[in-house]
Amino acid sequence: MAVPDEDADLVRSAIGGDDDAFTELVRRHKGTVLRSAARFARNPAELEDLGQETFLRVYRDLRSFRGEAPFGHWLSRITVHVCYDALRKRHREEKDVSLEVLAAPVADPSTGNGPSAQLARMILDQAMSRLKPEDRLVITLFELEDRSVREVAELTGWSETRVKVRAFRARQALKRYIGGDDER
Amino acid sequence: MNDKRHDRRDVELDRYFALARQASPDISGVERNFETRLMARIREWRAEQDSWYAWAWRLAPIFLVLTILLSGWSLFYSQVRPADPVATLASGTQEVALLTNLTGD
Repeated sequence: MAVPDEDADLVRSAIGGDDDAFTELVRRHKGTVLRSAARFARNPAELEDLGQETFLRVYRDLRSFRGEAPFGHWLSRITVHVCYDALRKRHREEKDVSLEVLAAPVADPSTGNGPSAQLARMILDQAMSRLKPEDRLVITLFELEDRSVREVAELTGWSETRVKVRAFRARQALKRYIGGDDER
Repeated sequence: MNDKRHDRRDVELDRYFALARQASPDISGVERNFETRLMARIREWRAEQDSWYAWAWRLAPIFLVLTILLSGWSLFYSQVRPADPVATLASGTQEVALLTNLTGD
């Protein structure tokens, strides 16, 4: 994990036109950005696009980074916004996805029986692809990244009430989809 | 009965989330040399931006000449434009009224 002050120095150098400083910033933070974006990407090509778009936006807006919060927080917000934009863009094309795979049973993770973690993720991905982009974003940050309501609100720029409502709606919808009584 | 069914579904959904959290996404392929590919894209973007600026500077004198021509044209036509016909008519009427008054015709 990078020391925030070092990040601030690198940001200053990068603003001054030092490409090596920006490369160093990317090297330090690419893991965090890619791991977060991977929750929203459907394949490695899409993950690459999300990662590149995030850092390109960072590069473009570097002058607007005022250094009041650590660079990592600012970067996380940009990552979330890039992923949200991508979710909205592809929402329409994923509406008619098949949910046949959702018939798979799920077992208690503590026993180790039932589907693997990968399969559970696949099933969840399929069910989540039917959610509204904002619901999907909130439930991913809340349940899969284990963030608090306040953190999700800070990252998205939405109110805590809105985050709670979105999370509740997303859970209700997911229960319907996974339970198999989707009425739509 | 219905509540129990909802509880069961909540538990089931939480199991999915717990399992999915364990499945840390594999980013190793994308992570490898990511910064090299990104910097190539940034250089490309910068070149694009530079070419836009270059075009803007190249077109600036043309826009300047156009602005001067348009200003001159509008200034010239505002000067040679005939006077307001209503005002002309009104001033003619005043003259006739004065003459009528003075001569008594």
